[in-house]
Amino acid sequence: MADTPAIAARGVKVHFRTAAGLVRAVDGVDLTVPAGAFHGIVGESGCGKTTLARALIGLQPATSGEVRIVGRDRAEWQRSDRLGFARAVQFVFQDPLGSMSRRQTVGQTLEEPLLIHGSGNAVQRRARIAELLDLVALPASVLDRLPRSLSGGQRQRVAIARALALGPQLLIADEPLSALDVSVRAQIVNLFARLRDQLGLTIVIVAHDLAIVREVCSDVTVMYLGRVAEEGATKPLFADPAHPYSQALLSAVPSPDPRIEAVRPRVLLAGDPPSPRNPPPGCRFSTRCPVAEPACRTEEPALRAVIHGGRAACLLADAARHARIAHA
Amino acid sequence: MNMRSWPWAVLTPAVLFVLVGLFAPLLMTQDPAAQDYGAILQGPSATHFLGTDYLGRDMFSRIIGGARTSLTAMTVVLAAALAIGVVIGSFAGYVGGRTELVLISLIDIALALPSLIIALALIGVFSGDAWTWLSDFWKMVIALTLAWWANYARMSRAVVVAELQQPYIEAARVMGASHLWIFARHILPHVLGLVVVYASADAGALVLAIATLSFLGLGVAPPTPEWGQILVDGMSYIEEYPSLVIIPGLALTAVVVSFNLLGEAFALQKVPRAVRGGLLRRKRAARAAEETARKAAEAVEARA
Amino acid sequence: MSGSTSTPAGAPPVYAVESLVIDLYTPTLSVRAVDGASFHVAPGETLAVVGESGSGKTVMTLGPLGLLPEGVAVDLRGAARADGRDLLTMPAKDLSALRGGYFGVIFQDPISALNPMLKIGPQLARQAELYQGLSPEAARKEAVSLLARSGIPDPEDRFSRYPHELSGGMLQRAMIALALAARPRVLIADEPTTALDATVQAQILSLIRQIQKEDGIAVILITHDIGAVSVLADRVMVLYAGQVAEEGVAVDVLTDPIHPYTRGLLASVPDFRSETAVGTREIPGLPPNQASLEAGCRFVDRCDRARPGCRTRRPELTAVRRGTAARRVACPVVLEEEGISHG
Repeated sequence: MADTPAIAARGVKVHFRTAAGLVRAVDGVDLTVPAGAFHGIVGESGCGKTTLARALIGLQPATSGEVRIVGRDRAEWQRSDRLGFARAVQFVFQDPLGSMSRRQTVGQTLEEPLLIHGSGNAVQRRARIAELLDLVALPASVLDRLPRSLSGGQRQRVAIARALALGPQLLIADEPLSALDVSVRAQIVNLFARLRDQLGLTIVIVAHDLAIVREVCSDVTVMYLGRVAEEGATKPLFADPAHPYSQALLSAVPSPDPRIEAVRPRVLLAGDPPSPRNPPPGCRFSTRCPVAEPACRTEEPALRAVIHGGRAACLLADAARHARIAHA
Repeated sequence: MNMRSWPWAVLTPAVLFVLVGLFAPLLMTQDPAAQDYGAILQGPSATHFLGTDYLGRDMFSRIIGGARTSLTAMTVVLAAALAIGVVIGSFAGYVGGRTELVLISLIDIALALPSLIIALALIGVFSGDAWTWLSDFWKMVIALTLAWWANYARMSRAVVVAELQQPYIEAARVMGASHLWIFARHILPHVLGLVVVYASADAGALVLAIATLSFLGLGVAPPTPEWGQILVDGMSYIEEYPSLVIIPGLALTAVVVSFNLLGEAFALQKVPRAVRGGLLRRKRAARAAEETARKAAEAVEARA
Repeated sequence: MSGSTSTPAGAPPVYAVESLVIDLYTPTLSVRAVDGASFHVAPGETLAVVGESGSGKTVMTLGPLGLLPEGVAVDLRGAARADGRDLLTMPAKDLSALRGGYFGVIFQDPISALNPMLKIGPQLARQAELYQGLSPEAARKEAVSLLARSGIPDPEDRFSRYPHELSGGMLQRAMIALALAARPRVLIADEPTTALDATVQAQILSLIRQIQKEDGIAVILITHDIGAVSVLADRVMVLYAGQVAEEGVAVDVLTDPIHPYTRGLLASVPDFRSETAVGTREIPGLPPNQASLEAGCRFVDRCDRARPGCRTRRPELTAVRRGTAARRVACPVVLEEEGISHG
């Protein structure tokens, strides 16, 4: 199994039909996540990162494309063995409070997956719940409380504990940090990292906090308007991003150190990202790209190997060089 | 949550109605159907607390017996209408698509016609020879049920549709929960929570409808005591003996108003209100005391 | 706890709050949201008020202006001065006028601050008419120029758009234009970039900085985003559970924090440009329950420097000498142990 990737997605498209026209939320994405990786998917709102994550676990029907989870076709697996799939892959939602029934105590919330899967008797279930609380470092005193009465960090811990209840191999988390306070984000992200090491999980996390992704993720995918702009190992990619969009995105994140902030060159992109309703022809970033060439507006760039060892979808980037906008 | 200041006393008639209905056999001093031609149209006395009617029947026992009849009919109709409404409405909301469309149209048609008209029409149908095996009481109950379910179906569907959009339903799906599990464990409690509350407030309208049908001679058949009927019986004597109309009329009005106010209370519960008056004064005083204690503790520390 | 620290600009403060105490009462809870906080901001200066949710940063800044949570009984004590008057004793009518004219407020969620039924431009023009006393035609011109100044492309076209027709970034710009329409002396930005994407956040922050430079107004930035503080702030005030933990010049506080909470907070914020980062550190535990007033330091349960005395001794905000300018820190333990001299 070591060689089978945890996720292998090919040509995934998710299109929505709306009153205003067809929205191409995800428009042809390939994604490979090796087993044991801590993979980050980043991008701005509307880039399709959440839709992609939902499509990976079947919460969102894909318009086309194929997703293989640990070597098995996702759609077929979910159809033929719903419970088996749920035991293998779990999901953590952005809003921990919304993802739990407001009528159930923490204890009932944690017991629910065990009941659905008919695992163990009452005593065994209680033992498993105690184990889960231990894993996410929550005291047993939370069991009788309602999610509403917990703090944001505690709620997200409960949500993570519930996702772990069935002992999954793969955990997909959609913006699990964005509802949390800064100091609590660090707690939760450290919890994910610890769980990966302790349980040998594969974790995919959708995030917009780039600094935290850089801290904990082994690999990262940068998305823009439904496509992959760039992907690769996190540290080298962050150090020298090949795609102008990645460069702009990283440049937009202010440094917490005002001394660095005062002197560092900055790129301010003009305007908002275009709507995924009618993406521009050619390279999708060409409308905001400071270094775009005429060819960029007509030719769609494919992902190809770049200097940092990953791949980027930019006509101006290849294994030998890429355009740099940070000093423009 | 701010129910402390709410005048709970207005619910007394409704509570009394339920209690009296439940314990009617113990409370009735006489047989409500027993006629006594030696004592017709009497005023209140030690034997007849509320006097007697034109057949010499004890008004006190008849009012109590009427409460029991109304309570029984109301409970059966509410339970049946709830069951039908929740099942049809939830099914429509959960399944969606064309099935939902058909069921919604059915519900809308039922809602477009006044319940009483539907009930009257159905009673008309039931008066045919094929239905003689059914007692008048049950004819009325069935007619009212069929006239009443649509409201609960509409509400159930709305709750189901709203709850289905909640992320925790998706979370349950991710855990591998079946449709039945999601419906029974997560959605049904919400549906029942709302619909039962609404139904309890709706009880007043139903009590009134039962009385109306009996008043029109389409409900409970005579010797069984029923408020609508007591009203009809009293109508002919309204000039000389107005109490024969006033007593059942008052009982009916009090119960209906009281149930309606119960609905009002449920609606009010959802409006958040700031603390005021005595509670706020107590809270301020508690805070001031805490502050003094803290100052004292810190002063001791500073001197040390 | 005096607010006599001189400002970088040297000018007298345009908004000063002294020993502010705010109690919030709901039917089930009594919360001491702000527990004796003082701050001031001068023209041309940006003060960042930093704290996590529940720290009282918003109610401390906006509470004296009468912008308070709804459905909650509120008691304010202390003093809040602006335009030479005390906001806490002022008649509601005057306060409302001051709020619209003297103070401009940018909220986190622009869509809730703009009237969805009215076009953007007329909302701006009305504000300019009301507070700048312009004629309708002049106000219209002012509205268009405000939109242009806020970096909205094609302002003539956007003038006659409804709020729902604008993207998130454009709405936040329109909100800024609305806040500026009355020519405020103090601009209060409550989490102005939290709901926005990274590239748009950078645009909005640079817009606020540019406006401040041009108009020389005072800006108060309420945020939990250390990056935004680093971009905009001259001075920083760190709030913990309704009390001021540390206050000083931004560079000093962000690069050399003294209070254990500030240190913990900054350590939990990763900086991907710095190679020295040794992983995301975390502050253990949770903020305290503010429903009860307890003696001593509020941070004591999460603090790695806590001593037994911290539970009873109230940590006074003390002026210290360290870094480029005056700083105040509410932690006698660190000051003593690290030999930081009082100033």
